Amino acid sequence: MEPSASPELLPGTLYLLILRTLSRGPLHGYAIAKRIKEASRDGLEIEDGSLYPALNRMLVKGWLAAAWGISENHRKARFYRLTPEGRRQLEKETGEFARMVRAIQLVMRTV
Amino acid sequence: MAFWREAARRLGHLGRRSRFERELEDEVQFHIESRADELEREGVPRAESILRAQREFGSSLRAREDTRSAWQFRWLEDLSSDLHYAARVFRRNPSFALTAICCLALGIGANTTIFSVAMEVLFSQPSCRDPRSLAQISFGSGDWIPMTQYRFLRDAHVFEGVAGINIQMVTYWTDGDTSYKLAATRLTEDFFQVTGVPLAMGRPIQKGDVDVTVLTDGFWRRHLGADPNVLGRKLVLSGRVFTVIGVLPRGHRTLVGFGFMPDLFVPTDPGEVMVYARLPEGMSHQAARARLESLCREMDRAVPDANRKWAKGVGVSGVGGLERLLHSGSGFSMMPVAAFFGMLMVVVGLVLLIACANVSSLLLARSFSRSQELAIRFSLGGGRGRIVRQLLAESLLLAGCGTVGGLLLDVFLTRLISGMRLPMQWFEFTIQPDWRLLTYSIGIAAAVTLAVGLTPAIKGTRAGIGLALKNRDGRDGGRRWSLRNALVVGQLALSLVLLSGGLLFIRNLSHATRLNLGFDTAHTVWATFGEQRCTPERFHTLTEAALARLRALPGVEAASLARGVAAAMPIWASGDVRADTSRHATRITYNMNSVGMDYFRTMRIPILRGRDFLERDRPGAPAVAILNENLARLLFGNADPVGHTVLLPGGEEVRIAGVARNSKYSLLWEENALAVYRPYAQNTLNQSPLVSFLVRANGSPEPLVHAVNTTLAALDPAAGVQTKTMHDALQPLLLPSRAGAAVFGAMSLLGLALASIGLYGVLLYAVSRRIREIGIRVALGATPAKVLAMVAGESARLVAAGAAIGLFVAVFAVRPLSMFLVPEVRATDPANFLAVACGLALVAALATLAPTLRALRVDPATALRHE
Repeated sequence: MEPSASPELLPGTLYLLILRTLSRGPLHGYAIAKRIKEASRDGLEIEDGSLYPALNRMLVKGWLAAAWGISENHRKARFYRLTPEGRRQLEKETGEFARMVRAIQLVMRTV
Repeated sequence: MAFWREAARRLGHLGRRSRFERELEDEVQFHIESRADELEREGVPRAESILRAQREFGSSLRAREDTRSAWQFRWLEDLSSDLHYAARVFRRNPSFALTAICCLALGIGANTTIFSVAMEVLFSQPSCRDPRSLAQISFGSGDWIPMTQYRFLRDAHVFEGVAGINIQMVTYWTDGDTSYKLAATRLTEDFFQVTGVPLAMGRPIQKGDVDVTVLTDGFWRRHLGADPNVLGRKLVLSGRVFTVIGVLPRGHRTLVGFGFMPDLFVPTDPGEVMVYARLPEGMSHQAARARLESLCREMDRAVPDANRKWAKGVGVSGVGGLERLLHSGSGFSMMPVAAFFGMLMVVVGLVLLIACANVSSLLLARSFSRSQELAIRFSLGGGRGRIVRQLLAESLLLAGCGTVGGLLLDVFLTRLISGMRLPMQWFEFTIQPDWRLLTYSIGIAAAVTLAVGLTPAIKGTRAGIGLALKNRDGRDGGRRWSLRNALVVGQLALSLVLLSGGLLFIRNLSHATRLNLGFDTAHTVWATFGEQRCTPERFHTLTEAALARLRALPGVEAASLARGVAAAMPIWASGDVRADTSRHATRITYNMNSVGMDYFRTMRIPILRGRDFLERDRPGAPAVAILNENLARLLFGNADPVGHTVLLPGGEEVRIAGVARNSKYSLLWEENALAVYRPYAQNTLNQSPLVSFLVRANGSPEPLVHAVNTTLAALDPAAGVQTKTMHDALQPLLLPSRAGAAVFGAMSLLGLALASIGLYGVLLYAVSRRIREIGIRVALGATPAKVLAMVAGESARLVAAGAAIGLFVAVFAVRPLSMFLVPEVRATDPANFLAVACGLALVAALATLAPTLRALRVDPATALRHE
């Protein structure tokens, strides 16, 4: 298999990306992957194989809720949306992430 | 919190696993198709786009596996597989599993049964609307409130509602030509409205109702044949006609609690009442007390009483649970009963401990013989924690099955107890399994799991791989061995403690059955006679006539009458008493009785000093009294009290005519009780037209019962009469002794059986592990006597250690039991301990028999080939 063009995601950031993507409204799995890819201008690509385990782990944690609906291409699809708990988690993780990025940048600049 | 919600979601997932699989499949399919659609829009042919989308998605199998694992409930699934494995292990060895489960079921069953009974007797909630906002209130230092003060309280409207009951009332129900004595609780007319006591049929008593009655389920079943058309039926109660308007449901629990159950309720003027108040929403007991106190101060001004300050001793207490138990303001303390149940809980706790030790010992032996299996699991990479968990799952399964078995036993036994007619009239218990029992049994199961399994699991896995694989002859098992020995010694010690108590209770019962009450019970007939609608003068004439006719009956040696009857219907009073030789009054509680002439002769209570009551002790003559020895000694020391005067609580001064020998007044085990007898003719205290006739027979009292009954009934058809032999009437007194002997005796036998099974198991196991050694010894010339000495010696060491520890503990442990025993049985009696130790040794010898025979049958040739 050819090496992936997109960089490895930092651990834990997948949850953050999914939470952020869903903060504007419910989406199905395929749309989440596509939205992340487009928003990062193809810079980040989620492996399809790891998307569904991640979504399910977030369901277990209660950050997301899922319901079946009809997709834009008229197929039955499972839509995920943020729960209030998921919204809180998004706020928390966003803050932590920003702090970490700033810290890494500081190190990169000074050292 | 988050953890539990997560656990709940995972748990929910377990139930919809197959749907989850289907949906995941659909979802992956949708993902691939959406991608294929997109590729197709970009110009890729359909067939190829699907293939490409599938390739991009990668292994859908792996994705699904990962997704599934996101939901996995690791420990629950582990636990279920551990339990499955444990169940398989037990199926392979059913006799082991059955023994262990039976041991535990007996221990747990005994435990939960006593728990259920104790909960019902002591802590049950009354059947009424919202018992939490209902409270019993007392003031004027007592629970009994006269109607004047009750009405004042009711009309003050400080609470949402108040109601009063008088449970001490007796009525006579005339049915054809027989009359029955019934407990008729009298209540104020708004009782049912305030308390919200539910009915099974009919309607409750309401304001303005007269001559109506609500029946209890028990009376309706026993006396009216559970007649479904009972509503509207007329009952003649003490000569008045009452209409039945309602029946209480089965399993009704009265506000008074503790199993008290009258026959019926009537709205007749109660005279004085125990008061219940419905507190307004959210009012605390403290706030209620404050309100009541200020009202009582008002009461002291508006409706004062010379002898009682209403604002004194104001109390508000709950109508269920611990609060009611601690209240006991009516002078009737439940503490001895609570202590009795506390003792029983300790006893069944010990039995359970013995049972746990048995199972633990069995598991130890097994974990030892399973060391091979464990070693293999270790070497295959099983972590110690994982294996400990596996072994604990086995004890969990045992404890679970044992608990279920125990609960079945519990339900069976409590059914039996609920259906039992107690020898006490007007008490019945409805014991049903409830959430408290469930919580308790879950707690027990958890405790048993740990008690039984933790030590074997930790000990069994300590050796690790190397040792366990090498260890084939079990010679290094010495340490585990000694742990099992310690368990057996502990069991023997505990069972000895139980046996000591059990024997005390059994001896107590045999003493109690003789009813050595200080008066004669073998030749006396007791009849209660009540006529509630006649004047005191007429009642006096009636009793005089009755006595004359009774004395004239053939076979009657003496007859007398009395207000109360010692032990069966005692009257207690309390207050300040002062002797003329002393300047200080003494506050005492004493038995109070007014007795007719010949009372002491009829009851066979000797007058030790002075004289009996005589014809001249009539109204108008100087007031006299007879004291019992205890009171005479308390007031006058060793001086002769005859001729001195005593000031009684009512302010009445009486001259001491004589001193009577001590007897029992209410309980078999009471000692040092005080008593005052007054002549019935001078009785000014009680105006209630109810009296007891006591008739002494020349021979057996049974033939006289009928004659006495008809004589009294013929005197006045409206009177209520109930006649029994004294012996029968006193049977309720034996109830505590019987219950104690039955429960304690049964439990100590169960403990002994379990402990001897434990001893047997350990010895047999020791022999089976030493067969090779025994074989070598026999081959080298050891005689059967030597072999016998070896096994029996082992047993003797264990028993001696157990007995020594047990005796040491028992000497202290049985001491508090003396409060439940008649004075003739001393808790510290050395003969008792000796008998128990001998009994234990005998049973231990029996348990040693089989292992010894097994050792003696060892054939050296076979034994050497063994293993």
